[in-house]
Amino acid sequence: MTVLLLAVSGCLGAGARYVVSSLVQRRSRSWVPMGTTVVNLLGAFLLGCVLGVGTSSPFWTGAAGMLGGFTTFSTWMVEVGGLGAGTQPPWKAILHLVVPMVLGVIAAALGYYLTS
Amino acid sequence: MPTTTVTQPRSRTSTRTRVLGGLAVVAGGLLGSGVRATIATALPMAPGEFPVTTLLINLAGALLLGVFLARHRRLNGSRWSLRFWAMGALGSFTTFSAFSVEVFQLLDAGSPVVAAWYVGFSTIGGVIAALWGDSWGSRAR
Repeated sequence: MTVLLLAVSGCLGAGARYVVSSLVQRRSRSWVPMGTTVVNLLGAFLLGCVLGVGTSSPFWTGAAGMLGGFTTFSTWMVEVGGLGAGTQPPWKAILHLVVPMVLGVIAAALGYYLTS
Repeated sequence: MPTTTVTQPRSRTSTRTRVLGGLAVVAGGLLGSGVRATIATALPMAPGEFPVTTLLINLAGALLLGVFLARHRRLNGSRWSLRFWAMGALGSFTTFSAFSVEVFQLLDAGSPVVAAWYVGFSTIGGVIAALWGDSWGSRAR
């Protein structure tokens, strides 16, 4: 039952990621893959908010599933690898690795302290 | 490895194509989230301990996405398979939100060393996995 709830909420999150990351990416002129970055930081902030509310309810399971599907680790890693292995200067890959990593934890903490 | 990845700027796509693309992502997302939920239920983690389940899922997802994108490029795959597999299934199989929250929980629990190991394994391991997957998938066959 939990697996089903997680799968269904996760696929809704994936659909939302498609919409948001496409909208952001289309407006971006930056070398930074802004679509993935915005989605991931927003998702980390929101999961922090939900964590602050509490992890005991089924609401937590649904929200965690949805935000798990909304955010993506694999795309981020492939983007970092692409920046590092391409013709781009290596600092771009390092920056795209370190900045979302640090901001993600800050976003999660911010969300948590906002709602707890 | 070129920097083109999952989200590509699209200028002349019809609404119908976008909606169908979204449905392909949702269908792939059901698969990816379902597999992640199955693994997470089989290997549950207690908050504050090293999040080995998320780590394994994220590393496996980065490796598979590297392989998939390289094969897709080599074989000139369709945008539908890109939506379903890359953005849908492998995108939602892995998770950034849980990663960030787990690092925060480890720091909050007073385990900065464990948090640092977790971040190091995830990010450096993830990049190596993605690049390894790419070179593996790029091989002729």
